[in-house]
Amino acid sequence: MKHLPKHLRPRWRYVAVGIETWSDAEIGRRAFQRALWYSAGNLLGDAGSADADLTLLSFAHADGTGEAVVRVRHGHVDDARAAIACVSEVDGEPVGIRVRGISGTVRACEERYMGRATPSSTQRDVAFEGAERSATVRGDACDVRAESGRVGATTFDTE
Amino acid sequence: MYEAVHAYPDGEATVARHAATAARHGYDGIVVRSRDALDPAGNGGKSPGDRGSIAADRDESPVRDPDALREEYGIDVVDAVEIDADDPTSASGAVGNYRSDRTVVCVVGGDDALNRFAVEQARVDVLVRPTADGGDFNHVLAKAARDNGVRVEFDFGPVLRATGGKRVRALADLRKLREIVGHYDAPYVVSANARSHLELRAPRKLVAVGEAIGFDAEAVREGLRAWGDLVERNRERRSEAFIEPGVRRGRYEEDGC
Repeated sequence: MKHLPKHLRPRWRYVAVGIETWSDAEIGRRAFQRALWYSAGNLLGDAGSADADLTLLSFAHADGTGEAVVRVRHGHVDDARAAIACVSEVDGEPVGIRVRGISGTVRACEERYMGRATPSSTQRDVAFEGAERSATVRGDACDVRAESGRVGATTFDTE
Repeated sequence: MYEAVHAYPDGEATVARHAATAARHGYDGIVVRSRDALDPAGNGGKSPGDRGSIAADRDESPVRDPDALREEYGIDVVDAVEIDADDPTSASGAVGNYRSDRTVVCVVGGDDALNRFAVEQARVDVLVRPTADGGDFNHVLAKAARDNGVRVEFDFGPVLRATGGKRVRALADLRKLREIVGHYDAPYVVSANARSHLELRAPRKLVAVGEAIGFDAEAVREGLRAWGDLVERNRERRSEAFIEPGVRRGRYEEDGC
């Protein structure tokens, strides 16, 4: 199909999203996209959701941390931000979400907000609540396996 | 802006993890609602009575000292307590117990008698989750809350995390609460009621969610700032120089008269 004339092309904003999960959680691109659309549909309705678009352009997730670029129609960024904030779990795994920034081009978005080196994670035993427990340590963050389930701690807690 | 969180053992993340995440999100401080998560401030790091004093002696994990956490993460960490009682009588006892050693005292609402009790007690700082579990809020409570300076919480938790009918009911309750509180100018706070670091959301996102469900953007910001104002006021009241509102001990001009 022929390109639209420039003044009729939709204008986009690209939202850089940082993702955090428990270290043993695995979330996939399709699941994340589904969660995004689902949350937008629920919060904004079908009409608002179609306006905001929220197409996932790139996605990466490993070791409990990830990032994504979400395409949003210009002028609906606030709606999109609200919908993104309402993504609380993907495939049953709780996720923490942070908007790192917004750009007008994919390239600027990637250069400015993406590909931050994340410290690699290691498995080791840490002292927590007076006992040795296995934990996954990534930078300052430290996900401990306790009797009550997973506990998010920091290295400041365990050292 | 401040956010009030549930920390381990009540929630799934320790105070330190909450503080680290909140600092990244751009908050100025966190109010820790869980009773067992922090040592009360202002006692030289030692808590009176129960279990805190034993823990304070050794190198503890998770960290329970608000001052150490404040220094490590560069944001304010406030000791608070959430009183979840079955009836007003036991709530009243608990408020009396905790008022003197916690900076912020919240009462969990959710039933009509407790909501009524909380807004009529000037000793209570915040009535949290007033409409959860079928509790109701009306103009009488709003007026009492305004007169006693008790803040009413708008709980964004179910909006962010629930789905379906539960969420619809939460939204309907929020709208009703918003209309009543707005009409009587009762003080309020806003919180996402995060139980883990993953449930924390940045202030700007809470504002966006608030706007999407009908709140004024400035009202949500005001509600997040209100935690900070509350903390500042209570810290001043607990300081030694404070006698009563308008009267404080301090230096004065000696050669004036």
